[in-house]
Amino acid sequence: MLKKGLKIFVLTLLAYLLQATAAVHMAIADVAPNPAMAIIAVATVCLGRKYTFVMSLAVGYLLEIMMPTIEYFHILLYPVCCMLAALFFADKSERRLEEERTTGRYHRQLNPHLRTPLAAALSVAVYEGVHLTYLYLGGVTLDSGHISRAVIDVVYTMALAGLLQFPIRKWLGVYRLRHAQ
Amino acid sequence: MKVKVPKTERKRQRGGRVTRILRRVIMIAIVFVLMALAGMQILAYFTGNDALKTPGNGVATLITPLQSAFSSAVNWVVDYLYTLKLRSNIELAYNELKQQNEQLAYNAMLVAELQHKLSAYENLYDEVSENELMNPLVATVVGRESENYFSVFNINKGSNDGVEPYMAVTMDGALVGYTESVTATRSVVRAIIDSEASIAALISSSRDQGTVRGTLGVDGTAMCRMYYLPVDNLPRPGDLVVTSGVAMGFPKGIPIGTVRESTRGMESNKQYVVVEPLADFEHVEYVVVLRYRPEAEDVQGRDDTGDLTYTPLDTAKPVPTVQIGSDFYQLAPTPEPTPEPSPTVIIGEDGEEIVVTPAPSSTGSENYEYQIPSGGTDTSYGFTLSPTDSPTPTPPPLDMSVEEDE
Repeated sequence: MLKKGLKIFVLTLLAYLLQATAAVHMAIADVAPNPAMAIIAVATVCLGRKYTFVMSLAVGYLLEIMMPTIEYFHILLYPVCCMLAALFFADKSERRLEEERTTGRYHRQLNPHLRTPLAAALSVAVYEGVHLTYLYLGGVTLDSGHISRAVIDVVYTMALAGLLQFPIRKWLGVYRLRHAQ
Repeated sequence: MKVKVPKTERKRQRGGRVTRILRRVIMIAIVFVLMALAGMQILAYFTGNDALKTPGNGVATLITPLQSAFSSAVNWVVDYLYTLKLRSNIELAYNELKQQNEQLAYNAMLVAELQHKLSAYENLYDEVSENELMNPLVATVVGRESENYFSVFNINKGSNDGVEPYMAVTMDGALVGYTESVTATRSVVRAIIDSEASIAALISSSRDQGTVRGTLGVDGTAMCRMYYLPVDNLPRPGDLVVTSGVAMGFPKGIPIGTVRESTRGMESNKQYVVVEPLADFEHVEYVVVLRYRPEAEDVQGRDDTGDLTYTPLDTAKPVPTVQIGSDFYQLAPTPEPTPEPSPTVIIGEDGEEIVVTPAPSSTGSENYEYQIPSGGTDTSYGFTLSPTDSPTPTPPPLDMSVEEDE
C-alpha cells in the first residue's frame, strides 16, 4: 500500500513538473501538449476514478499556486476534465460489471491501450473547449487558428498519452497483475 | 451448521479488514486535505484574505527547489538535443557547401579551359585575318614527338590542303617551325628549337642577318642560337629576331624570338647569340601554316617607247684634280653623284625637243611582309606580360689571352 501510494505521489509530481517545465520545449507548430493530462489519463485507466480525482486535484492545485494564469481555472478544470474522462474510460468496478451482466446491459470494455489516449483526448478537448469559450465570452472572435491549435493540442496530447502509457503501466505493475490473473 | 475457521485464518481476515479500513481512512484524509487546500485557495480569491494563501505558499516553498532542479535537468536535455540538432544541421550544411564548392571548382576549371580555347581561337583569327595574303591555313596538332634532342609534331593538314614542304608554321604570331615532310592528309613540322632546324633570320633593330638554329640537341634547352652575324655589331638583349625571307620560302618578318644574352663579344669561342623563342612550345595545340610561295615578277615593259630615241649620256666620273702651287699633289674633293637622274632633253626625228624623265625603279605592288597580329605573341591568356627590360650595354670583352712562356 505504501509502495503504491509512493508511486502515485511520484507520478503526480512528475505530471506537474513535466507540465510546468518540459511542455514548452515539446511544442510542435507553437502548440505545446498537455503531459499532465496525458499522465492522469494513463492513471485513470490503470488505477480508476478515485486516484484520478486525487491526482488531478493535486496537479491542478500545484499549477494554481505555482503558475496561476486565470483564477480558479487549473484548480477547477483539471479535476473536472479528468473525472469526465474517467467517467467514460476508467475500468468499471466488479460490482458494476456484475450489475450489467444481470441486467443484460453488458458491453465489453475497450482495450485499455485504446482507452488511454481516448481519455486524454476527452480531457484535453474539454479543457480546450472551456478555454475557447472563455476567450469567446471575453470578446475574442474565434477563427480557424484557434480551432486548429485546439485540435493540434488534442491530437498531440492523445499521441503522448499513447506513448507514455507503456512505461507507466509497466512501472505501476499493471502488466504483472494481468499476467497473474 | 457452522464451519469452524482456524484461528490463524481468522487473524488474517481481521488484519485484511483493518488494512482496508486504514487505506480508506488515509485516502479520505488525503482527499480531505487536498480539498481543504483547494478550498482555502478558492476562498482566498473570493475573500481576498492572504492568510488563506498561507498553506499554498508553504507548498510552493517546498515545490520550488524541486521544480528548479527538474527544470535544470530538462534544460540540460533540451540543450543537448539542440546541440545534436545543430551539429546535424552544421554537418548537413557542410556537406552541401562542400558539394557546391566542388561544383564551383569544376565550373571554374571549365571556364578556364573555355577561356583558354577562346583566347587561342582569337589569336588564330587575328593571325589569319592579318595575313590573308600569306594564304594561311589553321591546323591542329595531332601528334607530338618531343625527345631530348629533337622536337617534331604532326598536324592534320597535308598536300590535299595545299601544304608543301618548308612552309612556315606559326602560333600566336610567332614562328613555331616549318613543314618538313608532307603527306596527303598530314604533315610533319620541325620546331625551331630542334637542332636540325636552320632558318634565315635577322635582328629587327640592326637588320643584321644570320641563321637561327635550335639548341635542343646541343645543350638540351628549348632555345635557339643565331650564328653568322656580322662581327662589328653586337645585338642587345631584348632585340627582336625575325625571319629574313632569305633561303626557304618564308615570309619576311615572322617573329622568332628575342635576344636573351649576347656572349659573342665576351668569349671568343662563342660565335653566336642566344635567342629565346616567343612561341610556347609546351602548349602547341593549334598552328597556322602560311602557304606562301614567292613568285618571280615579270619585267615591266614600256608601251610608249616607240617614238623615243635614247642617247647615252656621259656619266660624270670623279677625276683627281691637281692643284698647282701647293707643296704636294693633292686630290681635289670628289664631286657628289647626283642623287636622282635629271631630266634629259633629246631631239626627235622631226626636230622637236622631248624631255625624258627616267622612271623610278619598281618597288612591287603587293606587300608580302608578315604582319604581326596585335597581341599575337602574347601567350599569357589573360594577363599582361611585363615589358622587356631596357637593354644594358654589354661589357667590353675581357682579355683572355694567355701569355706563352718563353
